[in-house]
Amino acid sequence: MTSTLEEIKLESLLPRVFVREELPYSDIWRKNVVFRRGGRYLVESASGGGKSSLAAFIMGSRNDYEGTLMFDGKDARSLTIKDWQDLRRCHIAYLPQELALFPELSAIDNIRLKADISGDVDLARVDNWLERLGMKDRRDYPAGKLSIGQQQRVALIRSLCQPFDFILLDEPVSHLDEANNRIAAAIVEEEARRQGGAVITFSVGNPLLIENPEKLNL
Amino acid sequence: MGLISKLLRKNTSPARIVGFALSNFIGLLIVAGAVMFYIDARGIWDDDESFVNTDYLVLNKKVTSASTLGDRDATRFSEAEIVNLKAQPWVRRVGEFSSSDFRVYASVSHGGRGMETALFFEAVPDSFVDIPESDWRFEPGQTTVPLMIPKDYLALYNFGFAGSAGLPQLSEQLITGIPLKLYMRSEDGSRSMSMEGHIVGFSNRLNTVLVPDSFIQYANSTLGDSPAVSPSRLIVDVSSPGDVAISEYLSDHGIEVGGDKSGSSAAYLLKVVIGIVVSVGILITLLSVFVLMLSISLLMEKNRQVIHRLLMLGAPLRDVAAPYCRMIIAGCVVAWLLSMISLVILRSFYSGVLDGFGLSPNGLVWAFVTGSGLAVIVVVVNIVAVSRKVNAAWSLKMKNA
Repeated sequence: MTSTLEEIKLESLLPRVFVREELPYSDIWRKNVVFRRGGRYLVESASGGGKSSLAAFIMGSRNDYEGTLMFDGKDARSLTIKDWQDLRRCHIAYLPQELALFPELSAIDNIRLKADISGDVDLARVDNWLERLGMKDRRDYPAGKLSIGQQQRVALIRSLCQPFDFILLDEPVSHLDEANNRIAAAIVEEEARRQGGAVITFSVGNPLLIENPEKLNL
Repeated sequence: MGLISKLLRKNTSPARIVGFALSNFIGLLIVAGAVMFYIDARGIWDDDESFVNTDYLVLNKKVTSASTLGDRDATRFSEAEIVNLKAQPWVRRVGEFSSSDFRVYASVSHGGRGMETALFFEAVPDSFVDIPESDWRFEPGQTTVPLMIPKDYLALYNFGFAGSAGLPQLSEQLITGIPLKLYMRSEDGSRSMSMEGHIVGFSNRLNTVLVPDSFIQYANSTLGDSPAVSPSRLIVDVSSPGDVAISEYLSDHGIEVGGDKSGSSAAYLLKVVIGIVVSVGILITLLSVFVLMLSISLLMEKNRQVIHRLLMLGAPLRDVAAPYCRMIIAGCVVAWLLSMISLVILRSFYSGVLDGFGLSPNGLVWAFVTGSGLAVIVVVVNIVAVSRKVNAAWSLKMKNA
């Protein structure tokens, strides 16, 4: 990988499970789509539209698709394990819908773990984010004992604790009220701007309130 | 990476790790202990003889009345008999004894007193004698000749003869320093030569006065009268000295085994027993490897979700494998340490016996080398297995999920 990842290109991409199905209109499946570094994207879909599949393809946890996925012109299928780990650590941040926190670790340890893997993360910023999202007094609680909404905020902060060119947020605010949604959007916006990264957020109806995203229907 | 380890060590069963360490310990102890005992005990059978391998048998035919009455060919091995012997599966190679065809007189003077005796020489192919070539060599023109005499001759002199004749007893070291005056002449007395003999070694297995083969060839051609005759004794390198087939073959053909046979049979038995013990030890070690691989696999299976999540966070594969590798190494180091300490204790039980034989073999060193080698193999095999499993966890996700 180069020092920054400039674009993620989808060429006639389609999950294999959809191949035989009649698809509703989509801006992404079977189309050519380019996500550019620095952009703001909102991918909206109905439930079952393949939103999590798209995230899994981009994150390299699945490859059961037709068509081509390119990172700066390099075919995703040609990447080695090391390339993928490098991509996940330094280029594409990811907040999965299922959050994937470690329930036995405290909120702050979940974040620290990620920071340890990425290296070079300013934990002072983390404290500021925890405070703004109203999580400061919950930082030492085991993640498993937090409410879903609280877990979502911890997982969001964790996903920001790495260098990234793109950040993929899969329904990041589905359990947050509007006030917290706006705070989360502000934090993501700040960090994306600081790093020059793109924000790609997925939603089935309660989107992260970032300003003027390019909207795509899945 | 404390947090990663903490997560990955979740579900660890201490009992299983202890079980591995224990079985690995037993396996290492048995293998290394057997090696130690073999190296140490071998000396008890081998100590008298580093010149002639214990796997060599000296064969001769039974002396019968017929041979006494003059038919000397009765005790000789014919060419056909030698060919037949060579064809036996337990025979590696056969060497013929050549004997001197002339008279030999040896004299020694020590402290002003002299002693003289009639003697004879025999030779076997040099490849059967484990004395450095520089010491065991003769070339025409040389005035000294190396000799090897049976240990029993020295005992006979020291304890039988020297006392009654008022002569001093001689140590092995002393006698190797004394030159023997050799006077050799042909049967009819027409040709003769004098030489100096040096004893370079003592043997328990070869009941003869041995000289280099090249010397016998030279002296026989110079002093001998009769043409070359068939040998009456053979030296045979056998693959398994304790084999029943050997004794059956020999008794069927009226052949006797000369020299000390008990050593070779005991050494052979020792080898067989040690072989069995080592096999059992290796089997136990293999089982311990299997136990460890199984418990680590189980642990990784239980922590599958944790591993998946860590990999999704971009954790390098070697960081994910590291806690398991550390577990393997810790278990192995404990087992290795315990077994090495046990070996030292075990050896203290019989080191007194070895001292009694005047032996100081390095069995412990070899046991240490074997045990450490085996422990390293166990570690490497398991670490490779863990790495493959982590890799598999990665690519498995790619396929299904």
